[in-house]
Amino acid sequence: MIEHDKILELLPLAAAGALTSAEEKQVAEHMRSCIACANELEAWRPIATELRRLPTPQPSSWLVQATLARAEAKLAEQAEHDWNRRVMIFVVAFAWLLTIASWPVFHFVSGHFGSLLELQFSYTCMSFAAFTALGWIAGGVAAVMLAIRQPGERRLA
Amino acid sequence: MPLDADVVRLRRGDPNALSELITRYQNRLYRYLLRIVRQPAEAEDLFQQTWLRVVEKIRSFDASRNFDAWLFTLARNLAIDHLRRIRPQSLDEPLANSWHSETVADRIPSKGATPFDHALAAERRTEISEAMAGLPMIYREALTLRFEEEMKIEQIAQVTAVPVSTVKARLRRSLEQLRYALEERYPGGTWQ
Repeated sequence: MIEHDKILELLPLAAAGALTSAEEKQVAEHMRSCIACANELEAWRPIATELRRLPTPQPSSWLVQATLARAEAKLAEQAEHDWNRRVMIFVVAFAWLLTIASWPVFHFVSGHFGSLLELQFSYTCMSFAAFTALGWIAGGVAAVMLAIRQPGERRLA
Repeated sequence: MPLDADVVRLRRGDPNALSELITRYQNRLYRYLLRIVRQPAEAEDLFQQTWLRVVEKIRSFDASRNFDAWLFTLARNLAIDHLRRIRPQSLDEPLANSWHSETVADRIPSKGATPFDHALAAERRTEISEAMAGLPMIYREALTLRFEEEMKIEQIAQVTAVPVSTVKARLRRSLEQLRYALEERYPGGTWQ
């Protein structure tokens, strides 16, 4: 009786084709001797069959086109964003390289002309370093402000 | 499992691959969303949102996973968020509206069947879909993924993020509730 109840519970899944091979075997064996379960399975089958035959509602062509247009726009936006990020990384790396490379040149030039103008090297050097740092800080602040503003603009758009 | 060529191309940012994938999955995805939310306008909105989410997340798509399951998981998460936001009761409570819709293909007669057979078959489908629309969301979902999407139990478990045993229990209960609803509406098995 316990097995019969257990099999009875498996019958909807049998109609849905959702049993494991071991369960299928168990159900098949039980049904050879149980007419009630065999009839019960036959009652489940039309439901499963009709569920498989339900009509498929289709999206309108307008919806598909509109979705494609929006998704393509997003794809293009992402590609542009990636490109901008790569360019930004390159520009920053290049700027640092240029700054570092300019130091020996500056040292050579300031040593030569500084002596003509009677300027102290350390004073000129400090001024140049301060000027460079100011430029970098201003650039950094502008970049951070732009980065904060951009998501806000996207939200409004 | 080899990765779908269109998915690979989409990961590289190819818009043609996007078009291919939308065309390929449009009917299945729309049907799934409509079965969950039952309102065409909401399903349309979620359809668009799902594809935008695909574009957004495609790079983080795990190549070892099945794309179908991933796509339906994205759609499901959006649909559930939507249902929680606009009508929290709808995850459990059925609505009276029917989402049943007939396509042109369904009206094309097949060989050997009389107009009466067609009318009867259409009537049966309407009965089943109306009874199905009355089930709670998790049961409608189990039925559509198994019978319409023809997903395996393991795939359904992936999409719904629950164990296989839970999927089986949901499937069994959904069928039982569906049968009960049909028998209640049409006593004596007249719906068959």
